[in-house]
Amino acid sequence: MKQSRKRILAPLVLVASLAMVLTGCGTSNLGGKKADSGAGNDGPIKIGAVLDITGVGASLGVPEQNTLNMLAKQLKDSGGIDGRQVQLIIEDDQSTEDGAAKATTKLIQGDNVDLVIGASRTGPSVAMRPIAEAAKIPMISIAANAVIVEGSKWVFKTAQNDLVVIQRILDDAKTKGYTKLALIRDATGFGEGVADTITKLGAERGISLVMTEAFEPSATDFTPQMTNVRGSNADAVVIWGITPSAGLAQKAYVQLGVNKPVYQSHGVANAAFFDAAGEAATGAIAPMGRLLVVDQLPKDNPQRDVIEKFKADYSGAFGDQPSSFAGHAYDAWHIAVAAMKKAGTEPAALRDAIEQTKDYVGISGIFTMTADNHSGLDSSALILADAKDGRWNLYKD
Amino acid sequence: MVLPTRFPVDKATGSNTFWVNNRQTVIGCLIFVAIVIVIPFTASTSMMNIAVFAMIFALPAIGLNLLMGLGGQVSLGQAAFFAVGGYTHAILLTKFHLPGLVAASAAVLAAMLVALLVGLPLMRLHGHYLALATLGLGFIVTIAVREWDFTGRTTGIYGIARPVIFGITISNNGFFFWFVAPFVIVGIILALNLTRSRAGRALSAINDSELAAESLGVSTYALRLKVFVLSAAFAGIGGVFYAYQVAIVSPETAGFEVSVELLLMVVIGGLGSVWGALAGAFLIVLLGDGMRDVIPAIIPGATGEVQLLGYGIVLILAILLLPGGLHQAATVLWRKLLSRTRRAPVVEPEDENAQFPLPQVSTPVETGEPILTVSHLTKRYGGVVAVNDVTFTVPAGKILGLIGPNGAGKTTCFNIISGALAPTSGTVTFLGRNIEGRKPHVAAEHGLTRTFQNLQVFTSTDVVGNVYMGRYRQGRAGILRGMLGLQGAEQKRNRAVAREILRSMRLTDVADELAASLPFGRQRMMEVCRALASQPALLLLDEPMAGLSGGERDALAHLLRRLRTAGLTIVLVEHDVAQVMSLADQVAVLDDGVLIANGDPESVRNDPAVVVAYLGTDRDEAESELVELEENQ
Amino acid sequence: MLTDFLQLTVAGLSQGTVYALLAVGLIAVYTVRNVINIAQGDYATLAGFGAIWLVTAGMPLLLAILVAILSVTLVSILVERVIIARVKNMTVLVSLIVTLGVSILLEAAMLILWGPEARSLPKLPGEDLFIGGVSIRSQELWMLGALVVVGGGIVFFYEKTKWGKALRACAEQPVAARIVGISPVMASVVAFGIAGLVGAVAGVVYSPIYLTIWSGGLLLGLKGFVAAVLGGLTSFRAAIVGALLLGMLESYVSAYVASGLRDAVAFFILIAVLIFRTQGLVLTPRQGRA
Repeated sequence: MKQSRKRILAPLVLVASLAMVLTGCGTSNLGGKKADSGAGNDGPIKIGAVLDITGVGASLGVPEQNTLNMLAKQLKDSGGIDGRQVQLIIEDDQSTEDGAAKATTKLIQGDNVDLVIGASRTGPSVAMRPIAEAAKIPMISIAANAVIVEGSKWVFKTAQNDLVVIQRILDDAKTKGYTKLALIRDATGFGEGVADTITKLGAERGISLVMTEAFEPSATDFTPQMTNVRGSNADAVVIWGITPSAGLAQKAYVQLGVNKPVYQSHGVANAAFFDAAGEAATGAIAPMGRLLVVDQLPKDNPQRDVIEKFKADYSGAFGDQPSSFAGHAYDAWHIAVAAMKKAGTEPAALRDAIEQTKDYVGISGIFTMTADNHSGLDSSALILADAKDGRWNLYKD
Repeated sequence: MVLPTRFPVDKATGSNTFWVNNRQTVIGCLIFVAIVIVIPFTASTSMMNIAVFAMIFALPAIGLNLLMGLGGQVSLGQAAFFAVGGYTHAILLTKFHLPGLVAASAAVLAAMLVALLVGLPLMRLHGHYLALATLGLGFIVTIAVREWDFTGRTTGIYGIARPVIFGITISNNGFFFWFVAPFVIVGIILALNLTRSRAGRALSAINDSELAAESLGVSTYALRLKVFVLSAAFAGIGGVFYAYQVAIVSPETAGFEVSVELLLMVVIGGLGSVWGALAGAFLIVLLGDGMRDVIPAIIPGATGEVQLLGYGIVLILAILLLPGGLHQAATVLWRKLLSRTRRAPVVEPEDENAQFPLPQVSTPVETGEPILTVSHLTKRYGGVVAVNDVTFTVPAGKILGLIGPNGAGKTTCFNIISGALAPTSGTVTFLGRNIEGRKPHVAAEHGLTRTFQNLQVFTSTDVVGNVYMGRYRQGRAGILRGMLGLQGAEQKRNRAVAREILRSMRLTDVADELAASLPFGRQRMMEVCRALASQPALLLLDEPMAGLSGGERDALAHLLRRLRTAGLTIVLVEHDVAQVMSLADQVAVLDDGVLIANGDPESVRNDPAVVVAYLGTDRDEAESELVELEENQ
Repeated sequence: MLTDFLQLTVAGLSQGTVYALLAVGLIAVYTVRNVINIAQGDYATLAGFGAIWLVTAGMPLLLAILVAILSVTLVSILVERVIIARVKNMTVLVSLIVTLGVSILLEAAMLILWGPEARSLPKLPGEDLFIGGVSIRSQELWMLGALVVVGGGIVFFYEKTKWGKALRACAEQPVAARIVGISPVMASVVAFGIAGLVGAVAGVVYSPIYLTIWSGGLLLGLKGFVAAVLGGLTSFRAAIVGALLLGMLESYVSAYVASGLRDAVAFFILIAVLIFRTQGLVLTPRQGRA
């Protein structure tokens, strides 16, 4: 009897010893005191970031991570903000929505960050939004879709709205006389709503959407989708996705001999697109920020100096060239830091300060936020680039 | 089953952990409650985060543990039910604005419903096929929620508000931990009770021998389906808490990685150990989190799901070195600590000549009336006819001997009667019911049970546990009553009966030993005890004398005669012709699948066809050999 | 329309050749050892990465492919010797769990060694064809060729040669196998070697068009398994036909229904087969508990 009881209890003891492991230092988990919190206006400032460092969004998240680390170091070397040290905590959401939500909760509840940057893509950003809002902590997304910020008090973003991206594509299509478009889109949050927007904005320009196909960002075989597109009567095709999948789609497109002009989205604004698509990339046209074509900009462009300094810093630190996504992270960081310099880290004041950002010259454009516009960029932030000779070239400013 | 099951059998201590013992549960839970209360005050924030997720995942892990440890079925798709629970909860909260309690209840029901629907066809599959089918189910659920607008496609369902209990918003990890803990504790108690209940024993028995369990009245399919649904219910509750804590459910929730983590928790914790599942959940969540920090530190440049490296190593090592998981490790450790203080169990000496009370039998029909009728029974295997148009009747209260040379079709005939085989044509009528082609448990429920030529011992339990399983038919408590622990009286009564029967067969001295450790002859006696424990109306014995010593044979024969006197009907398949002739009231002889004689022993002995069948063509020689044979017995 | 259908058929067949090769590997092991090897698909990714790594290091393509295939064959044998052979009480279910461990381990190792990005091997020499509006990539012909030569060779070995037949008998009749001079240990090693070989061949031929990614092996292996189930886990021929049909069906569903449902096809087939055709497809009429 006695022995048997102990035998049954044995695993319990294991649980108990695990519990002992769990008992560490004495921070409160019960929402009482926030000893190491930066929520006041003294002590170190904590900025959290949730990025797609691994998984399908890794081609976005890794340069973003590099950028933030580089900027945090620069800020540290220059003495922080008003004498307060700035601590950057980066979490990997593994390109998943629930990973982003978990990471955000951890940053806000566990680390008591003053502001969160992220996520890299729309889906995870949307997952983060209600958590930041509930905790009343400002959040700056670096993803594209306008739904991330629509109607939100606490959430901002630095990537160009997909709305203006689509406008640029449709305007160009109109001047070339295309009236029927086919869309092959990313199946995740980044591609959601794109078909509706094209239909709506296209109607004003006499352009109709004749077919929509979707692909997973992890997909490697695009034959079925491209076969359908080949059979359609579209004049041109929009491939809406991120690298590498959008690049592979472009490759399959060429291999299957579709022979229709291709528009890509701003999701391919990096060199990785050329790694994935190879020679098939040539001829694609995509709206994007000025980062990748800065050397082809006129000398008097106001963004030129900012971009060239960033490129030099980045390639100095990491050896390769930054992508547009790195630029989104750069802008988010600088907008956050500027607001903190102005208003401190009390959440409501910080939020107000971000909303009052005006004429900030960044990598992706010139930002002016308002209560109604938490994105801050208009269509002037975009240029059209075409793919040629293994890089993006200025096609139309 | 897959790995040695760990349900309470204790050979070394000879203890009676087999029986309901609420004290263990109470003490265990009290310690656990104390830990739960303390953790939020003492844990660091990151450890608190781990503790919360460990508690959330402990729920589906306990469910999976019941399925694997008790049900003997492996699911590689437990996350599917976890996700169904989470999605249902999230959708009801965010789209229909239902109260949390209603949404959570609906979520659990939804998980159970999905399990029922897929379980109905899937639970008929055996072993690895079920594992792979559930794996497929996991992928299908992932894809379904990803492709459906209603489930929010790739982004999932988000914007789930923090739960509010008694006006308190569960807004931090400490509160959340206390919010989940009661459910985990109740889950543990229910699961522990279940493992010791009638249904739990039966599930364990199925894993040891499906055939024997069914012949004692256990409906394998129904029980496994129930435990599958129950396991989904645990997963569903886990999903509810996950949705609350993470505030979003996305397709990854149903993903294969989650199913693998849950599987790991169960394997590491120890298959069949409820506490092990809890410990496994803590360990795997801790390991996953720890590896993500440690591996990049050791291997520069490693990013991403590097915790998988640890999972892979731990899984392989566990199976190679520690198939019983943490539970096994803890048990071994305790044994070492306690080895000095252990005493050998004291066995009361038995009076060799004492007449023990007879096990109870059923007598549903008058002695001499037909209880079993076999009519035109035929079984073909391809072109071979194993049993050919056999017809006979067994009168109640008598012993019928079924004899015949090797390959005469005795065992085939026997298996058809007990339900283990379906006949090609013909009928078997037991107590007025047609039972041919039905599963063994159907006949068993009405009082027909059997023993096996090739022993079918429940190896994961002790001798008394085996005999206790014979009482299955007498119990009524189902899974629900079992989980609530409301069957102590029933179990106590049945346990007393089991011991009584063991005494009557002089097996008391080994009652608490592991059944598999008994010598062959005593295992056979134990099987007879097990069959008798079910209080049968008709007992089918398949070569009960084989492998017994002379003394054991005499004791068994003596017992069978007494049972007949008490009104039990017995059908005996036996090689030992002499024993049959001396025991049976009626003897039926099969040769080459055909019934060649059927009558009282004397007339059968003198039947020329029988003599020829048994011993060749020369009648005189055969007869003398037969006499010689009988004299030598 | 017909052109589109043919195009989809070509795409499906080439995808199907990968499943077919993996199914051959799974059956080769299952019939000899009664082990379901979840890591089968990871042999393919491992070989793909190995070859890519060697090519990047400057080795000629064909040599790199050869070295990668041989290495993965050795890895598979090593897995058998170090892990599979040491499991006490091996049942099919235990084999599922332990090879799942192997799969996870291999995937994590690839992630750490070669990173999270998808990469591809340079394609084998050849011109893409364009026949009647249907594009056939030269690599797709190489894949078909690999199935015919390697897959066909192994089927021939198992079904027609004395050695192969003895191997198959090993699971059920070890004595008979011993008579022809094959010990169970040898049989197991040979079976795993073959599984590694076909997996690796599949991995190097598909890499140029489908890309190699660390986490891709599991799903590929599982689809190979679905094909193997279509062959009752014993018939190579039925499994190869099943694999090609599966690839085609995926392609059609992807184009005509919804591309997102592509990966669900295999698992619907799996469950349907298990429920409705188990008796007709399994090894023995009553499989028993494993």
